Amino acid sequence: METLDFDLTILGSGIAGLTAAIHATNASKGNIKIAIITKLHAMRSHSVSAEGGISGVLYPDETNDSTELHAYDTIKGSDYLADQDAVELLVKNAPTEVRFFDHIGVSWNRDDKSHIQQRAFGGMSIPRTAFAADKTGFFMMRALYDEVSSMKNVSIFHEHFAYSLIVERKKFVGFSVIDLATGSSSLFKAKTAIIATGGASRLYNFTTTAHSTTGDGIALAYKAGLPLKDMEFVQFHPTALVPNGILITEAARGEGGYLLNSKGERFMEKYAKSKMELAPRDIVSRAIISEIKAGNGFKHEGSGLEYINLDLTHLGEKIINERLPMIKEIAQKSINLNPVKELLPVRPAAHFTMGGINTDIFGRVLADEEKDFVKGLWAIGECGCVSVHGSNRLGSNSLSQCSVWGRIAGNAVAKYLELDKSSNSTSNELLKSEERKILNLLEKKGNTNPYFIKSELQKTMDENLYVYRNREDMMRARRRIADLKEAFKDIYIQDKGKIFNTNLRDVLEIENLLELAEAVTACAINRRESRGAHSVIEHPRRDDVNWLKHTIIYKTGNGTGIAYAPVRITHWKPEPRVY
Amino acid sequence: MKESWVSLPTIYVPMVGVPILLFAYTVSIVAGFQSIGRILLALSMVGLFVFGVSGFRDVYINHWNGKRTRLRPAVTINKGSAADVTLPRAEAKIVNFHVNRFNPETQRLEESVYGVETDSFSNVLDGLLKIKTESDPTLSMRYSCRMGICGSCGMVINGKPSLACETNVWKNLREDKITVAPMLGHPLLRDLVTDFDDFFERHLFVNPYLFRNDLVEKYHPTVQYNQTKEELDKFLPFSDCIMCGLCLDACPVVNTNQEFIGPQALSQAYRYYADSRDEAGKTRLDHVDLLKGVWDCEFAASCSDVCPKGVDPAFAIQLLKTEIIKNDFIKRKESKS
Repeated sequence: METLDFDLTILGSGIAGLTAAIHATNASKGNIKIAIITKLHAMRSHSVSAEGGISGVLYPDETNDSTELHAYDTIKGSDYLADQDAVELLVKNAPTEVRFFDHIGVSWNRDDKSHIQQRAFGGMSIPRTAFAADKTGFFMMRALYDEVSSMKNVSIFHEHFAYSLIVERKKFVGFSVIDLATGSSSLFKAKTAIIATGGASRLYNFTTTAHSTTGDGIALAYKAGLPLKDMEFVQFHPTALVPNGILITEAARGEGGYLLNSKGERFMEKYAKSKMELAPRDIVSRAIISEIKAGNGFKHEGSGLEYINLDLTHLGEKIINERLPMIKEIAQKSINLNPVKELLPVRPAAHFTMGGINTDIFGRVLADEEKDFVKGLWAIGECGCVSVHGSNRLGSNSLSQCSVWGRIAGNAVAKYLELDKSSNSTSNELLKSEERKILNLLEKKGNTNPYFIKSELQKTMDENLYVYRNREDMMRARRRIADLKEAFKDIYIQDKGKIFNTNLRDVLEIENLLELAEAVTACAINRRESRGAHSVIEHPRRDDVNWLKHTIIYKTGNGTGIAYAPVRITHWKPEPRVY
Repeated sequence: MKESWVSLPTIYVPMVGVPILLFAYTVSIVAGFQSIGRILLALSMVGLFVFGVSGFRDVYINHWNGKRTRLRPAVTINKGSAADVTLPRAEAKIVNFHVNRFNPETQRLEESVYGVETDSFSNVLDGLLKIKTESDPTLSMRYSCRMGICGSCGMVINGKPSLACETNVWKNLREDKITVAPMLGHPLLRDLVTDFDDFFERHLFVNPYLFRNDLVEKYHPTVQYNQTKEELDKFLPFSDCIMCGLCLDACPVVNTNQEFIGPQALSQAYRYYADSRDEAGKTRLDHVDLLKGVWDCEFAASCSDVCPKGVDPAFAIQLLKTEIIKNDFIKRKESKS
C-alpha cells in the first residue's frame, strides 16, 4: 500500500468540501497541497440535488429583515436545541456567501432592479431564500467545481472511497482509500483533514436523497471512536414524490402551492394556522401523517404507499417554468404528471441528518462531549453537527451552513498549517493492516447477500423510525439491527474483480449504514421527549427541564455509550413553539 | 452454494425417473415379463410428456441467501410461457434486459441477458439496480441522484445515448426488450462504466470559470454584481450542463477525430463568454478560434439531440462562430483606421 502526502485532505466534494478547498487555497495563497477525495466524480455529489435555495439576509433595509430575525426563526425552528452562538455565526456570514456564489458564477434569479431574488420558505418569517430556479444546489456545485479545477494546488481524486479514518493520540493521521478504477488501496497522509461527506438518509428506503448518501464520513469518525451528536434527529421532508421519493422542493409551497387531503381541504389550517403550508418541516410532515392515519389520504396503486396531494395548478405555467422548472421536468419524466395541470402525490421522506460528528462552533472535531479536540480534524456540512439546526432544520439553511463553515474551516486550516511544523510518521504495520481490511472482505466465505441486509435495514428504519415513533417500534428496530449486524459477518462479495468493483464499495457502505442505524436507534430510544423531528407517542411534549441538552453517543466495545452536552443559549430563551 | 444458478424444478422427476423406468423396462423384457415392461414404458412416456409440457415453464433463480425469484427464461424456448408466470402485482411485467458489458480482461463487449420485474414507473436504472442487488452483483455501472441532475448514469439505451434514470422502461421497449451498452465514445473501463478523465480535460481546456480582476471583492464579497434578467437569459440555457458526457458520445466528429474539443466543452466556453459578469472578454473567443476548436464542428447537431437537459451545444458552437467572425470584422476595421 503506497502512501501519499498532503497538507490537507478533504473527504467529500459537495458544497462544503469544495468551498473549503477554495478558501484554504486563497488563504494560503495557493501554498498548501490539497487532495479532494470523493467516491463519485467531484461534480456529482449529492449537493447537486438541493433545489429551493440558500438563506441569507441580503437587503435588510428594503425587506425589513434582520440577521436577528433570521437567527430567531432558525432557533425557534430548531425547537430550541440549536447552539445559539453557532446560529448567530451562520446568519451573520450567510449573506456574504450568497454574494460569493454570485462572484463565481451562480445564475441567481434576478428582479427588475437586477437584485438577487428571494422567496418564502418554511419557518422563515420573511422571504430570504436566494435561488437559481429550483436547481440552486446544482448551479452552486458547477460553479464550485469549475472554480476548484482552476486551482493548481488542488488534486481531485475522483471515485476514491475512504474506508478508514486514522487518528492517533488525538491527532489526525490519514485516510485509507481505495481507488475504484484500479482497486488499489493507498494511505492519504496529511497534517489536516476536513470531513465533508454529507448525511445518511439512505438509512431509509423512502428518501429524497441520492443512492450515495450513506453517511460514510460520520461512520468513519464513529468507528474511529469519536463521538456523534444528536443522531436521533432525522428530518423527513414533507413532500417527496410518490412512488420514487424524489424531492419536490419546499419552494413549491413557498411559491404558493397547497397541500390537499382526500376531502380537498387545505388541512394545514388545523395544524399551523398562521404559517399554513409554510410551517417548519417537522410540523408539516406530522400533519401529513396524521391526515393519512385519519383516513384522509390516498392510496397509490402499484406501490401501495399512502399520500396526500400537492396542488400547484393555480400558480400558472409562467411561474412554474421560471421558478420551478426542474420539478415539472421530474414529475413529467418520472410519473407522467404535469404539475401545471395535475396534482402531485407526495408523502414525507427521509431528507436530512440533523445530527453528525460532534464539533465545536468552528467545525473542529471534538474527542469528547465539549472540551477535548482531535488535532487537525474538521467536520463541516451535513456530516458535522455544529449545531445550527438543533432538532429540526429550516429549509435553505443547509446550503448556507455548508458554505459558511466551508469558509471557516478552509481559513482555519490555512492558519493551522502556518503554525504546525510537525510531521506524521506511519508504521509499516499500519499500512499492512489497512491493506488487509479490503483483502479480508474480498476473501470472506459467507452465505448472505449484502444487498439483502441493506434492504432489510432500510425496511426496518422506514417502518420503525419514521415521523412518529413509539417505544415498541424502536426496541424492535434495535433488535433487528443487531440481528442484521450479526448477519453481516456472514456476507459474501461475489465480485472479485479489481476494476470498478461496486459490489465491494456497496459492502463498505452497508457496513457504515449498519453502524449509523445502531447509533440513530440508540439515541432515539434514549430521548424521552418529543422535540422537533423526534416525536415519540409515549412522550408527546417537549421537556426542557430534563432534555434541553444534546445527546452524545460513542461506540463502545459491544454497543453504544451515551453522554450529554449542554445547549448554548445566548439571547433566546426557550418558549412554546406555535406557528 | 455461492453462485446463482438456474434450476428447472419440474425436470427433476423425469430426469431421474425416466432412465430408471427405461432400465426397468429393458430388464423386464430380457427377463420375459413383457406386460410389466409395457406399463413401465407407458409410465416413462408420461414422464417425458410432463417434461415436455412444463419443463421450461417455471424457471427460478436461487440466490445464495435462500431466496428464490421466479423468472421467465432469458432465452425464450417456449413462446407464450411468460403469460403463465403469475406476477406478484397485476401491473408488473417481466422485461428482458440485454446488457452489453465491457470485459476488461478480454477487452470485448459481452452480452448478458436478465429478466427483470418492472412496473409502469420503472426506469432503466431501477432495472439495472434490481439486477445488481437480486441476481448479479458483479454488474457495474455509475449512478447516484436518480433524478437526472448528477449526470452519472449516461449509457446507450436502445442505441441512443441517454440517462438511465430518466428512461422509462415500458415506454422505451423495443421488441419487448431493453438493450443497454456503455458509451463507446469514451474509453471503456468495465461493464457500463467508462473513463471520464479525457472528458474532464476537454472541459478544462476552455477555462470554464468566471474570470475576475477584483480578487479582494471576489473572496470577501460586500456587494452583488448587477445582472439584468436579459443578461441572465443570454447564458442561462447553457448553464444547465450536467457533464454526463452523452453529447460527446453522440458527436460524429469527436468519434472520428479525437483532436476536436467537442460539444460539451465548447458549450461551456460560450456559457462563460456570454455571462455579463465575466471579464475574460474576447480572449475566450481567441482560445476556441482553432480548427480543433469551433471550426471542426460540422453542425450534425446530434449533441443537442441527445442532451437530456436541453442545453443545445450545437447552437452554442454556432453562436461562438458568429461571435468570432463579428470580432474579426471589428479587428480588421480597427487596423484599417
